[in-house]
Amino acid sequence: MSATRTPDGERQSRTGLRLLVHDVAAVAVGEETSYAEGLLTVGEREVGELFFHPALASVRLACASPGESTRIVKILDAVEPRCKGGEDGTMFPGLLGPAALSGRGETHVLRGAAVLSAGFLPRAQEAVLQMSGAGAEFSPLSGTHNVVVEFDPATDAPWEEVAGALRLGVLRLAEHLARAALAAAPDVVDELEPLSTGSTGLPRVVAVTNIQTQGAFKDVLVYGRTMAGSFPTWMDPCELADGAVVSAQYGHPALKNPTFVHQNNPVVAALRASEDVELAGVVLCPEPVSEKEKGLVSEHAARLCAALGADGAIVTKEGGGNADGDVALKLDALEDLGIHAVGLFAEMAGRDGTAPGLVVAPTRATALISTGNYDELVKLAATDRVLGGERLGIVDAAATEELELPIAAIYGSLNPLGWNRVTCAGDA
Amino acid sequence: MRIVHYVNQFFAGVGGEEAAGVGPGVREEAVGPGRALTAMLGPDYEIVATVFCGDDYASSEASAPEELLALVREASPDLLVAGPAFTSGRYGLACARLGAACARAGIPAVVSMHPENPGLDEAEPAPVIESGKIGREMRPSLERLACAIERLAGGEELREADGRIGRAPRRNRLAEHTAAERAVELLLARLAGDQDRTEVLLPSFGSVTPSAPLEDPGHARIALLTEGALVPMGNPDRLESARATRWLRYQLEGLERLEEGTYQSVHGGFSTVAANADPHRLLPLDAARELEREGRIGTVHHEYLTTAGNGTQVATARGFGVEWAAELRQAGVQAAILTAT
Repeated sequence: MSATRTPDGERQSRTGLRLLVHDVAAVAVGEETSYAEGLLTVGEREVGELFFHPALASVRLACASPGESTRIVKILDAVEPRCKGGEDGTMFPGLLGPAALSGRGETHVLRGAAVLSAGFLPRAQEAVLQMSGAGAEFSPLSGTHNVVVEFDPATDAPWEEVAGALRLGVLRLAEHLARAALAAAPDVVDELEPLSTGSTGLPRVVAVTNIQTQGAFKDVLVYGRTMAGSFPTWMDPCELADGAVVSAQYGHPALKNPTFVHQNNPVVAALRASEDVELAGVVLCPEPVSEKEKGLVSEHAARLCAALGADGAIVTKEGGGNADGDVALKLDALEDLGIHAVGLFAEMAGRDGTAPGLVVAPTRATALISTGNYDELVKLAATDRVLGGERLGIVDAAATEELELPIAAIYGSLNPLGWNRVTCAGDA
Repeated sequence: MRIVHYVNQFFAGVGGEEAAGVGPGVREEAVGPGRALTAMLGPDYEIVATVFCGDDYASSEASAPEELLALVREASPDLLVAGPAFTSGRYGLACARLGAACARAGIPAVVSMHPENPGLDEAEPAPVIESGKIGREMRPSLERLACAIERLAGGEELREADGRIGRAPRRNRLAEHTAAERAVELLLARLAGDQDRTEVLLPSFGSVTPSAPLEDPGHARIALLTEGALVPMGNPDRLESARATRWLRYQLEGLERLEEGTYQSVHGGFSTVAANADPHRLLPLDAARELEREGRIGTVHHEYLTTAGNGTQVATARGFGVEWAAELRQAGVQAAILTAT
């Protein structure tokens, strides 16, 4: 890690990252991949090569844009198209290149687009995304131009290899698409300044980001490796922007953090946007299953925040009720060290919204944000077209039908990292 | 507007604790607090009947809400008003259950009690208006209740500003800002010293003040209770192993020991192997009988009460507690040992 000194002698550990943002206004499948005037064309033949792997028999490409009468089901992951601009590192380190520190130099971003994988994998819970009509208001990805990859596994290929091959292919595709904009002038340049180390005098705040670590199909990769069994670690948010964290987690459609959300960590973005706080980085934590280990990780995470000179922390999770414990324990551990802590929770308050919402509640911390009630039913309008599968097992219906299902099935709707606007409140 | 008012035996003028076992009854006029309430409401409102019941009967007889509902129906009211019950547990439970029964039967209802009353969570879907803690606060409690009744008469919903308390159903909606942005705002508020702001209020489980020690245990009747779901072998009454909605009673009369193989735990929250091998480790009848023989306690109550405290809703469990207390007090029990798993 390079260390430099600013004129006033303050130590800086990083040099910051420059995001060259290209807006995407339309997307189509065509002969060759190109990007011009906001139109992203996905070259079908080139893309096939990106997915070449013995565990995959074939892949199909389709596009779905906001307002189209399309539903996407069984979504596995969503990735924002990004690539590196110069010689500084690789996008998705540890997966598309060496596991070396990322997060400096220039990164091209296709804003308004996403690459989605969709189809069957074991332990995956069926996610639903509506591109128009009733139900489209519940997911941020209903507002992006989506390149959807459907796939057929090779006969007899182990499912873990299928998942790995698909994941690599999707990351390659995301990088490949962004490369089409390398020569284009950016619409916006977003300078992600190096983190300050206490010089502003503003309250220092850490984004404590819990990631799921429950083995195959329920894991998250950090520089290409699992964090299961690890202690919490500090990260420069710029590393996340360059894809240091990639989702390999296919459960909980509403309560998972797709790769897209790690690339655009919403808590980091909100802290950067505030003029009243100083971002002190990300503390990335695994979510062990046993309570003892949850406690151990939580105490270490809180201690790490204290060592960073934190005045406050925002704690987020991934997964269902079990992961409420990881948030609750961290909030209490932080408050015990005198660090103000805010936790994000989805509520599980029953269909009628009257049950206690939290599976595990903090005992000392009390500042909580609600990302919505998991159990409440929502109606989805029928659509002309479906991608990702013909039938939906959760409701045992054709995937294009008008549906009523718990909001928990809507991809990204209750996002635990604070990506979305759904919330929940009492009527009284 | 035709109103039926529900009060307990005390406020109906029937009697104090000695009359707590009195069953449902009706007076075709306003009684006690109902008179003051009528005066506050003015000529457009009339209490056409006062339905009452003893606290023990109302809170421990399973049929009580239905019996009371039938009496309310007979007066064909536009509104059922129950309370104020203040912090009185059995009274609050009765008000809440009757309010809920009326609301479900299509009779608009409003209940008045203190936020710490254990009945609070059972009133839904009937709204609850906050009352004072004790009877001395009757007047301001009735004034608030009268305002709420007038709002209901005007076809409006009761809100927090009207003194509505209790768990209002949580509904999803779209906020103006993302959850991450709101989290930063909330953190800034906390850093600025605001200790109260939050989007999720944590459930308050309250606290119970322990009773004074028994003055004379050697003459006391002691009950054995358990949430360990100990039932006769085969679970003849089908007690649930989780999320229990009821409790059961079983005889201990003439029983010296709980032999292995005659009782079992159907609790779904722990390994029941050890408990089944020796049921006394859930229900300490062996030790209790010994103390009884030695004269260190008076008598062991002739039946034990049991339920499964596994995933049981707090409101339900609170109701069980009130019912058990009423039941045991009526049976002349002075103390109880409640084992938990």
